[in-house]
Amino acid sequence: MTRILSSDKLDNCVARWRKAGNKVFGPVKKETTSSYAAVESAAEFDLGLILPDRSVKELFFPQTEPMMRYSIKKQAIDTEDFQPPIEKRIIFGVRPCDASGLAIDDPLFGWDYKDDFWFKRRNNSVIITIACTKSDDFCMCTSLKLAPDSTKGADVMLRPLQNGKGWQVEELTDRGREAVKEIADLLQDSAEPTAPNAMVPEKFNLDACVAWLRNPENFESSFWKEISMRCIGCGSCTFLCPTCHCFDFQDEGDTYNGIRRKNWDSCSFALFTMHTSGHNPRSTQSARWRQRIMHKFNYFPGKFNVNSCSGCGRCSRQCPVDMGITETLQAISTLQP
Amino acid sequence: MSTQETYKTKVKELLSSGKVKMVIGYKAGTTADRRRPHFMRTPEEVDQLVLDSACITNLSGYLLSEGLLSDGKEIAVFLKPDGIRSINILAAEAQLQSNQVVVLGFDINGSEISALQGERASDFQALTSSSNEARLHKQQHPESARLEQMTPAERFAYWEDAFSRCIKCYACRQACPMCYCRRCIVDNNQPQWVNTSSHTLGNFEWNIVRAFHLAGRCVECGNCGRACPVNIPLGLLNMKMTDEVLQSFNHYPGVSETQEPVLASFKKNDSETFIL
Ligand code: SF4
Ligand code: SF4
Ligand code: SF4
Ligand code: SF4
Repeated sequence: MTRILSSDKLDNCVARWRKAGNKVFGPVKKETTSSYAAVESAAEFDLGLILPDRSVKELFFPQTEPMMRYSIKKQAIDTEDFQPPIEKRIIFGVRPCDASGLAIDDPLFGWDYKDDFWFKRRNNSVIITIACTKSDDFCMCTSLKLAPDSTKGADVMLRPLQNGKGWQVEELTDRGREAVKEIADLLQDSAEPTAPNAMVPEKFNLDACVAWLRNPENFESSFWKEISMRCIGCGSCTFLCPTCHCFDFQDEGDTYNGIRRKNWDSCSFALFTMHTSGHNPRSTQSARWRQRIMHKFNYFPGKFNVNSCSGCGRCSRQCPVDMGITETLQAISTLQP
Repeated sequence: MSTQETYKTKVKELLSSGKVKMVIGYKAGTTADRRRPHFMRTPEEVDQLVLDSACITNLSGYLLSEGLLSDGKEIAVFLKPDGIRSINILAAEAQLQSNQVVVLGFDINGSEISALQGERASDFQALTSSSNEARLHKQQHPESARLEQMTPAERFAYWEDAFSRCIKCYACRQACPMCYCRRCIVDNNQPQWVNTSSHTLGNFEWNIVRAFHLAGRCVECGNCGRACPVNIPLGLLNMKMTDEVLQSFNHYPGVSETQEPVLASFKKNDSETFIL
């Protein structure tokens, strides 16, 4: 016997969490795109999506965020910090790859400088993951040594029942236990079996890839130019990626008054590494693509002991020219280290 | 022989004779309905060439990849009528010389494809003129008609909602053969003409600036709309701009390479006293 949450109680849960002062989020399809968005009732959720087009990272690291207001006066410069939000949030129906992405980025945002905007949101959010029973041609969590029911980054794990009428509930953290406590009387005991996980075939041998990437001789390999020839250098893959985290500071306003903002930036853009002198150390798209791969599978794990990829497949799914991490790593894993 | 096989033979000849240094075409993609750009430099690479009704991407933008045309050697590229028109515009705007480009023309009709005869963009003048004629009499897209019926406030709300989804990934720009500026106006930061932030105002600025820069130049290939990861209906903007330019200036972009760029030419007898 385990405890289950039945689907027809979900709306009660949303109401209960909201009443307790939480803002509730989940997968929502709006117009032509889907994302994790705030809802007022469970009817707004689209739990049938394989995964939303946009990743959960934007609820923690939005595409643009005001940081400081400045005002330069004759005698003084006034500044005023924007405070990171402290609202309590329940994020329901997060895919395991998205939840893993948050856990992957935690060490990055807390390394030399503790990013309050990230951590205040992290500490006030409960991630309720639902294991995947469906996948598509682009899903590749298993190639990254994760799984369709990976609990990484999750506070509560829900496993869909075989009969499709609810989920088995497993609390994983204190935050998760707290959120489940608020709905405890809505859960019931049941022996109903859980549905099998999605079948996600392994697409490449990650260890072989990492070995090749770590060999300094391969940095200048002609492979990079060949594999990235069709890359048009947009920000689609990095902006949709749950682990890509680069940003830029921009002052908006005039010389005297304005707002300093933190905006998403992308290593795919030529401007990303452009120096004031006009020199660009990553002057070609192949150098930029190499950076994206090296960063995710060589430099990031070198520093934080984890790959900066959770295998969600968005980079390949949405690439305008059908490129992506998968094809590149598949090709690398066949090369001699 | 199928069109694809005929073209395979032709492409192999072009490469083995040394007439062109590269052929840009299509090959199979990750899923059955996807095609990827394919760059062929040797006859062996031609075996992977695919040419069918899923080959919808306008490939002409790749010709402007940095340094590709600078050695003066010829390049062949698979192009539909919209792509041929972009070659004319790129030539008219001095971005390439059309005698460096071998056009491998094809058209898609439903699930069928057919070859278009000709070698240089100028050989397709009859085709581009007839597509000009067809565009003049084209029935309005139902979604455009719906937008036209709206009040300005409703239309504003429609685009505000659409642009609020933009993430400023610039995939629309990067995918567009006409967006070739090495430094786009939004990348200019001294001064910063356009907000780089992706808030609704910044997104509005970006999408409207781009629509204006494409007015009278867009060939309606659809690359931008397909590239947009959040599926903003960019095609509707392009249709509107194309309609306006057709009605106001009787200008259909890319008919020939001697056609004057509509927003970059000036006539002394212009009825307007003010130029934007
Ligand atoms: S890999 Fe695809 S999505 Fe990423 S920058 Fe290149 S073209 Fe854009
Ligand atoms: S690199 Fe690609 S597959 Fe990996 S997490 Fe990012 S978007 Fe997903
Ligand atoms: S604006 Fe869009 S439809 Fe027009 S030429 Fe550029 S990519 Fe094609
Ligand atoms: S492709 Fe779409 S999301 Fe990206 S900048 Fe263009 S309109 Fe915005």
